[in-house]
Amino acid sequence: MNTLALGLKEVERVTLLKAEGVKAYYSIRQGYVKAVDGLDLVIDKGITLGVAGESGCGKSTLMNALMMNVKLPLHLIEGTIALDGEVISKMDRSMLKKKIWGVQASMVPQSALNALMPTKRIMDFVRDVIKHHLNVTDSEIVSMAKKRFEELNLRVEALDLYPHELSGGMKQRAVIAVSTLLNPKLLIVDEPTSALDVSTQKQVLKMLMELKTTGITESIIFVTHDIAVLRQIADYIVIMYAGKIVESGSTEDILHDPKHPYTYCLINAVVTPEPEVRKRGLTSIPGEPPDLINPPGGCRFHPRCVKAMDECGSVEPVLAKFRGNRLVACHLFK
Amino acid sequence: MNPFARFIARRLGFLIATFIIFVLVVFALPRTIPGNPLAALLYQIIQQAQTNPDLVTAVQKRLMEEFGIGRPLHIQFFEFASRLLQGDLGTSISFYPRKVADLVFAFLPWSLGLLIPATIVSWIVGNFLGALAAYRRKTTVDNALLPVFLTLSQTPYYWLAMILLYIFAVMFKIFPLSGAYSTLKIPALTISFILDMLYHYVLPFLSIVSGAIGGWAIGMRSMVIYELGADYVSFADSLGLPDSKVLRYVFRNSMLPQVTGLALNLGLILGGALITELVFSYPGTGFLIFRALSTLDYPLIQGTFILLISTLLLANFIVDLIYAYIDPRIRTGYVGE
Amino acid sequence: MVPPIIKDLFKIKKFDISLALFVGIMLTGVFGSILYNVNPLAAVGPPEQPPSDRFPLGTNSWGRDNLALLLSGIESSIYIGLTAALISIAIGVTIGVISGFKSGLTDSSLMLVTDVVLVLPSILIMMLIAAYLKERNPFFVSIIIGLTSWPWVARAVRSQMMSLKTREFMYMSRMAGLRDMRIIVEDLLPNMMSYVFMAFVLLMSGAMIAEAGLSMIGLGVTKGTSLGIILYWAQILEAVRRGLWWWFIPPGVCLVALATSLLLLSTALDEYFSPRLKGG
Repeated sequence: MNTLALGLKEVERVTLLKAEGVKAYYSIRQGYVKAVDGLDLVIDKGITLGVAGESGCGKSTLMNALMMNVKLPLHLIEGTIALDGEVISKMDRSMLKKKIWGVQASMVPQSALNALMPTKRIMDFVRDVIKHHLNVTDSEIVSMAKKRFEELNLRVEALDLYPHELSGGMKQRAVIAVSTLLNPKLLIVDEPTSALDVSTQKQVLKMLMELKTTGITESIIFVTHDIAVLRQIADYIVIMYAGKIVESGSTEDILHDPKHPYTYCLINAVVTPEPEVRKRGLTSIPGEPPDLINPPGGCRFHPRCVKAMDECGSVEPVLAKFRGNRLVACHLFK
Repeated sequence: MNPFARFIARRLGFLIATFIIFVLVVFALPRTIPGNPLAALLYQIIQQAQTNPDLVTAVQKRLMEEFGIGRPLHIQFFEFASRLLQGDLGTSISFYPRKVADLVFAFLPWSLGLLIPATIVSWIVGNFLGALAAYRRKTTVDNALLPVFLTLSQTPYYWLAMILLYIFAVMFKIFPLSGAYSTLKIPALTISFILDMLYHYVLPFLSIVSGAIGGWAIGMRSMVIYELGADYVSFADSLGLPDSKVLRYVFRNSMLPQVTGLALNLGLILGGALITELVFSYPGTGFLIFRALSTLDYPLIQGTFILLISTLLLANFIVDLIYAYIDPRIRTGYVGE
Repeated sequence: MVPPIIKDLFKIKKFDISLALFVGIMLTGVFGSILYNVNPLAAVGPPEQPPSDRFPLGTNSWGRDNLALLLSGIESSIYIGLTAALISIAIGVTIGVISGFKSGLTDSSLMLVTDVVLVLPSILIMMLIAAYLKERNPFFVSIIIGLTSWPWVARAVRSQMMSLKTREFMYMSRMAGLRDMRIIVEDLLPNMMSYVFMAFVLLMSGAMIAEAGLSMIGLGVTKGTSLGIILYWAQILEAVRRGLWWWFIPPGVCLVALATSLLLLSTALDEYFSPRLKGG
């Protein structure tokens, strides 16, 4: 079992989230969609982790699984997930709602535009959330909310509005603010910038960084397919393919010196003004996304890999330490 | 003008315009349909008047007066409209010499007495059952209730009435066969009369309620199933809000389209209820319309329809008001499709 | 060659059951009246007989065979339902397409008309028109029903048009400079076919019930019979009070069965054509 050791120097490593052997499948009529198929992940406190990959590689499923937000037809087939020492994969839904969700870990959904209750003022929704977890008076709730909004550079007046009265960018930031009201240690963000224009994107990313600097949140995991976002806020990056992690390492390493052929293609397939990309030129990834019901044998990427060797079709590469804290799952780098 | 007032003004304007159009239609129909019986009747009267003036009855005279052939159509309409605005809907033929307006106002309360409670009760109970079925989707409760709702929604109230009458008034003589009160009693505000009235009220009420419930239940069920998959539900969930609270959010949002649905279905419910009155010989507007249509009592037809539609449009307006109040998006000027 | 859509539809249980039920009743009516060769409108026996071997559903007050009446009534109701639905769908789709495609004044005015017809209760309008017609043949009755039932279809088709209008393939056709009509027919209509078919099924079910309602007040077809007319006479001649259940129960059951099977059919179609809701 290889753990993905990310974080500060060996001595100061404090684990926040530890996921081992996670298998999360969707049950459909034809069988199981193996969205996350045997994955280990360790996230330390103070880290912002970016998870990247094509659509359908299992990133969003992984996020849900890490929160233990497994609603049918999603099942957590195997694996243990522990948050700050507490094993959450054995908790039932009401326990999770009471002790974990919103309090220890929060998730910002992909489409934040409709995430807020449309027929309640934001303040009223906030009130419901806080009242459920904390025993405080109404005026304390109001001042908590106002203070937090101010802290994050959000207009306090927005609290008295209905969601439809806010702009898209405001809504996104309000959703992030609401999800961190109770200072969860871990914040999971699913595609923070996909539906936004560039200037709003900057505001959102700035807010995420502030959440960490102000100590509201300890660690952030976010999913994205946008290399630029990874570059701006991620400390470490994990690359997923067909339900498995194929490479991980610091942002610097991954973006400047990708090792796994898939990572290499991914970085280059993006139309961004990244200087590295301009140097290397654009490559598109040949082939089609893998079938997650019956994934390819051996290395899952081998049908599309230009560097595929004989053993790639039969033996699955193990995610192994490459150099320093880099992990790669590829026969080229054993 | 704030968005709320703007919305109300728009709706009011629309309903008034609809009313005017309807009055025009009611006016024009008997006078313009080719081969229509009214023209034949009036022609007959004119002939009569020319050959044997003394045989022309008072009724016929009245009819001639109110449907004055010979004067240009727009003058006729003007007279019709001005009389209408003064509250004069003419004199009935079949109930001569009673005035149409008096007749309608004598029979209308019985209809409203059935309609209003039945509509409200079926709406509330239907929505509740629909939400229950949705929450317990695919379990035995849902699987058992859904076919019942589906079938009920397609069952005419009047046929249900026949079934109920047959079972509870003929096979098992529990409830009375007809009427709003026993023929031997005189309407008065006494306990015994009220009880008698309620006794006669049960079957008609149940017919309308059971007929209408199915539709509401199905609609609410679909709405709730849809809302349960909404983004705000999963977000609220993920913040740890308890299931009961999240459900309350869902129901609150699902009710809104059901209120709109109420406005849209008022006409259907009205129609069904009117026909159901016939089965019970209930002394409501249904009976009046039936009588008017079968005897071709033109003034009565016109008057009843106009008053009925006014009531309906008023009810529509009230529901619109309620909706505008409870949907914050209207209050704050959100214009969505 | 059977198109794949048809094959897929028949795999759905709900579709099969509801279609079977509807077609079953329809064929009973059609072939039943051929096989059971009794003239429904002729006096063939003593009046008001209870069910017997000779008269499976008894006779009515004029000595007519109730079973023959029922079979003929099924045919009649289905015919009117079908015709009225065709009329409504034609009006509704036309108005919806024009309104959705051309926004602005055309759209606003068409929608105003639609809303007016929508708000006015169809039964009352139908009663009003029917009362003033001396002769009402099935086609006329269908027209009356068809003219008042289309607004919801127009609205729905309009929203579909408006959302389809902004999809990518539209831009292609626009850029290629195709004329409006061609765009409508080639690009947009095929996408709406599934909805139109579903709406048609629902319209038919509603039309059959509307016809029965009209008949109950005595404003149905003037010659011949229908399920509603059988119920009308049962009501007038106090069949309920006299306990003559064989007179009013079978027609009602047939009507409800026909309408419900069509409703089920439409929900089966809806589930098949609409995107899956989360959670399956």
